[in-house]
Amino acid sequence: MHEDWVRQVDLELDGELSLPERAALARHLASCRHCAEARVSHLEMRVAFARSAGEPHARTVPRPRLRARALAIAVVLALAAGAAAGWLAHWRWGGPGAGSIEATRAAFAAQ
Amino acid sequence: MRRSRRSNLPFVAAALLAAAVQAPNYRVTYRLRVLQPAAAAGAGADTQLLASGVVTGPPETNLRLSLRTPGAELRGLLGTLPEPDTVNLAALFFSRRAAGRSRRGLPMWEEDSYRRWTRLAWGGTARLYPFGPAGAGLPGRAGRPAPWVEITVGRQFAAGETRASEEVTIVDSTILLDAQAVIPPRRVTVRMSLVRGDTASSQRTVDFVPEAPGRRVSFVLGGETFDFDVTLERPEPPRTGRDSALAVDADVVCLRLLVPGSSGPARVRCGRLDNVARRLALVEGDTLVATFAWPAVR
Repeated sequence: MHEDWVRQVDLELDGELSLPERAALARHLASCRHCAEARVSHLEMRVAFARSAGEPHARTVPRPRLRARALAIAVVLALAAGAAAGWLAHWRWGGPGAGSIEATRAAFAAQ
Repeated sequence: MRRSRRSNLPFVAAALLAAAVQAPNYRVTYRLRVLQPAAAAGAGADTQLLASGVVTGPPETNLRLSLRTPGAELRGLLGTLPEPDTVNLAALFFSRRAAGRSRRGLPMWEEDSYRRWTRLAWGGTARLYPFGPAGAGLPGRAGRPAPWVEITVGRQFAAGETRASEEVTIVDSTILLDAQAVIPPRRVTVRMSLVRGDTASSQRTVDFVPEAPGRRVSFVLGGETFDFDVTLERPEPPRTGRDSALAVDADVVCLRLLVPGSSGPARVRCGRLDNVARRLALVEGDTLVATFAWPAVR
């Protein structure tokens, strides 16, 4: 039973509960010490996340943001790794061949 | 008395028909030379001979060609469609190329089949690039020039000789050339002898016609006489389309051996007419050694 309310606490802190659900949760928290303490713990945890992100006064937990440069480096590295893996696989296990199939076939040439 | 010219017409027509039926009989000859540029070999000549072969036979003789190099293989059935002054050389090819290795390290092959033809004068030469004109079908050929095959198709007039002959010479062992004459034999000479331990009966030579009623053949071994009902049959139809297209069984016959009055199964041994002794295990440890050959020229 407590797990359901704790899950509701999480959703409430994320701003995903409707007003009737928030009212029901508030009524329960007024009478349940365990769930109220869980709410406090969750809130403190989010405060710690916000501090670690460098925004101690944020209204919500800030999401990590990728900088454009880091993103570009990651994309370049992924492409290079893919190309290297493809080249290695082709070298190791072969492939369908680069030329057309006609170029590989036997051909007559009258002298 | 004056004879009518018209009355001679039936005789003339009959003579012409007989001449047409007994058209000039000739033997077709396929001369093969597998060559490659001599630059790789460092020789003084322009080209280096890797292998050669000659296959001759009656006009309906086809040529089964097999050429294998490291990483690539070509098999084909070549036939001639004669015209008065030229000959069409038609071929059905099956090629096989190494395409790499699987994750488990097993070789993977790329297979292909196609038809080709060319027209040349009798005695003329066609050049066959077995792995493509630029050798693209030869995997990992860095530093290795692609070989080609020169096929000369000729004919010599000869009467009555129906046997085929084939000859292959390998000069460079990195290449494997095989050339076989493909022609269904009308008659087959079978040489047989019965062997028990280290004793053999005298050889019996019998001319058979495939699919004709069998004959009883007797062998004398150790003072005993052994009789067998022997027939010559065509083999079972090929199991794969590839074998059928290459006519792998066209020049194969099967010797069927049955002990008269016995309820046991017949013993069968198949082979080409290549003078190779083939063993046929019999009951009680006896062995029949049979050799298939073309019959002697009549």
